[in-house]
Amino acid sequence: MSTLLTYISVSDGKVKRSSLEVLSRCNQLAEENGLQSDALIIDPKANEVAVKVKAYGPSTIYTVEDPIFKNHLNTPLLKAMATALDQINPNVLAFASTESSKDILGALAANRDAAALADVSEFDLTNTGVKAKRPVMAAKIISSVESTSYPTILTVRSGSYDLIEKSVDSEVKEIAFSFDESDLKITLKEIIGATGDKIDLSEAETVVAAGRGAKDEEGQKLVEELASLLNGAIGASRALTEAGVYDPSLQIGQTGKVVSPQLYIAVGISGAIQHVAGMANSKVIVAINKDPDAPIFDIADYGMVGDLYEVLPPFIEELKKIVNS
Amino acid sequence: MKITVCIKQVPDVNAPIQIKDGQLIQDSNRKILNAYDASAVEAALVLQEDHGIDQVEVVLIGPEKAKETIRKALAMGADKGIHIITEEENSFDSFAYAQLLAGFFKDREYDYIFCGKQSQDTDSGLTGSMLAEFLGLPYTTNAVGLEMADGDLTAKRQGDSGQEIIELPSPGVVTCSNDMNDPRIPSLKGIMQSKRKPVDTISVTDLGVDLSEESTKTIINSYEEKPERKAGEKFEGEPEEIARKVAQLLDTEANVI
Ligand SMILES: Cc1cc2nc3c(=O)[nH]c(=O)nc-3n(C[C@H](O)[C@H](O)[C@H](O)COP(=O)(O)OP(=O)(O)OC[C@H]3O[C@@H](n4cnc5c(N)ncnc54)[C@H](O)[C@@H]3O)c2cc1C
Ligand SMILES: Nc1ncnc2c1ncn2[C@@H]1O[C@H](COP(=O)(O)O)[C@@H](O)[C@H]1O
Repeated sequence: MSTLLTYISVSDGKVKRSSLEVLSRCNQLAEENGLQSDALIIDPKANEVAVKVKAYGPSTIYTVEDPIFKNHLNTPLLKAMATALDQINPNVLAFASTESSKDILGALAANRDAAALADVSEFDLTNTGVKAKRPVMAAKIISSVESTSYPTILTVRSGSYDLIEKSVDSEVKEIAFSFDESDLKITLKEIIGATGDKIDLSEAETVVAAGRGAKDEEGQKLVEELASLLNGAIGASRALTEAGVYDPSLQIGQTGKVVSPQLYIAVGISGAIQHVAGMANSKVIVAINKDPDAPIFDIADYGMVGDLYEVLPPFIEELKKIVNS
Repeated sequence: MKITVCIKQVPDVNAPIQIKDGQLIQDSNRKILNAYDASAVEAALVLQEDHGIDQVEVVLIGPEKAKETIRKALAMGADKGIHIITEEENSFDSFAYAQLLAGFFKDREYDYIFCGKQSQDTDSGLTGSMLAEFLGLPYTTNAVGLEMADGDLTAKRQGDSGQEIIELPSPGVVTCSNDMNDPRIPSLKGIMQSKRKPVDTISVTDLGVDLSEESTKTIINSYEEKPERKAGEKFEGEPEEIARKVAQLLDTEANVI
């Protein structure tokens, strides 16, 4: 039977919500089209992780277990993918859009002679491929695209679909895999600045984002206070990641991450299109900026015109009252 | 040692765009060097300055008009350009471009190939790793820093959370983020010199790549405006006052606290 296969992203043993969103969508498409929806987990503890994926009801959960997958490295991941795809032979392979999946999407498509659609915000099946919507031109425009052949491999923006639990007795099948270190070709020397225990920015419900207006220590302190009060993740504009104020992995926008939280608070951010490209799908946008004409106000639901050093302290106090009541 | 940078001419996302009958209409004069490729060129030039790399060349697939973008890279300081000329209206996707580039590189010498991490207009981010796979080369994507020692590159790759320090032996492919550097603005002297620098032209058919029906695997059917977000309410006045109002609205109206 032809299948839809969802790759489940795992980091430090945790399943990325965005890949369960993709799985939920694939389940739905499988049901509508009389196909099978399966999942693939490639991780040092893939079989343990499989248990957590069962609640989302793929027919078969394929696992590839090897210590080499502790950290992302494209060479072994591509080999594991190729091994798994030889066995499963799906029509569609879907990933959540992450830096890791973007790293291999092109190479995998070239290797499998497959069509590739990157970073889609919607997808559906056609008779011969996949049709999808993709934001382009710094997300000002939506393009309707289509792949004309199977297999099609795609990555899906986080927040594009809701999670739907489904009780099916998933079967777990382990795929045999071995990797010779001498085939690595590239060497991972170290990982710096990993923010393992913090809230995952791309999946956070609340994001407080700092821009050039909040570049000094006092600004950062206020941003941190606001984020921790609301249990939110901290993000930043390019102005501040470039200046080294915030870790580059916190950059939101065209070069950085795409976020779609319930609440996005832009502090001292002008709203350049490349920044907006990464946050325009937030449910509620609040902007604090001293320039009443800053473009961020054009998309903000609640705009606060003023100096952030004067507005944030009372704003934090007011929010504290609400949170604590 | 030679570094070849793949550069693309793209529409300027900052220029006004219209959509008519599902098609994008934009002033064809507003085409620019892809920002991520400008960073790739800059990275190659910095390595050349610091490590005495013999040659930095740029290769571009595009219509006649795209020559201006090759000149831009030469004005920044690249030594040589190669222009693979296409018809004005082609509908290649990343898969097709990567195949053409692979056909080009097949019989050429190079130590490293640099690409941009994505095209600024489409954000696809596919061509670089596709090219690496077609050529059977190791690669790293989304590089935000590059260092060279004994002729081999070490890339700092921005991953999902941390930055991965990756040794990439030559020959290999790197895709560059604009977080890597600030591309230099060509000087007047650079612009003058660029006019005398060699640009080889090759036609797509000369590459001997069989661009059959299947080489373009994705098509764009139409474009539409993104549903616009309406501006909400803007509060001005006393900081305490607007702070109180907005905090309350977030609680009672937006229900997000
Ligand atoms: C190819 C490309 C990709 C890019 N990718 C990204 C990306 O992923 N993410 C990104 O963010 N940018 C990206 N950029 C850069 C983007 O164009 C902007 O330069 C950047 O977003 C600006 O950051 P900013 O809003 O913090 O700074 P600015 O534009 O300098 O804005 C600062 C704002 O703070 C306000 N302000 C200053 N002081 C105060 C105060 N005391 N109180 C209140 N307000 C104050 C000012 O009025 C101003 O509006 C990209 C650019 C290119 C070309
Ligand atoms: N027509 C082209 N000519 C030269 N290089 C290209 C071309 N198209 C894509 N590339 C390279 O591939 C990168 C991005 O690929 P993509 O986002 O898949 O379009 C660009 O930054 C270039 O380095």
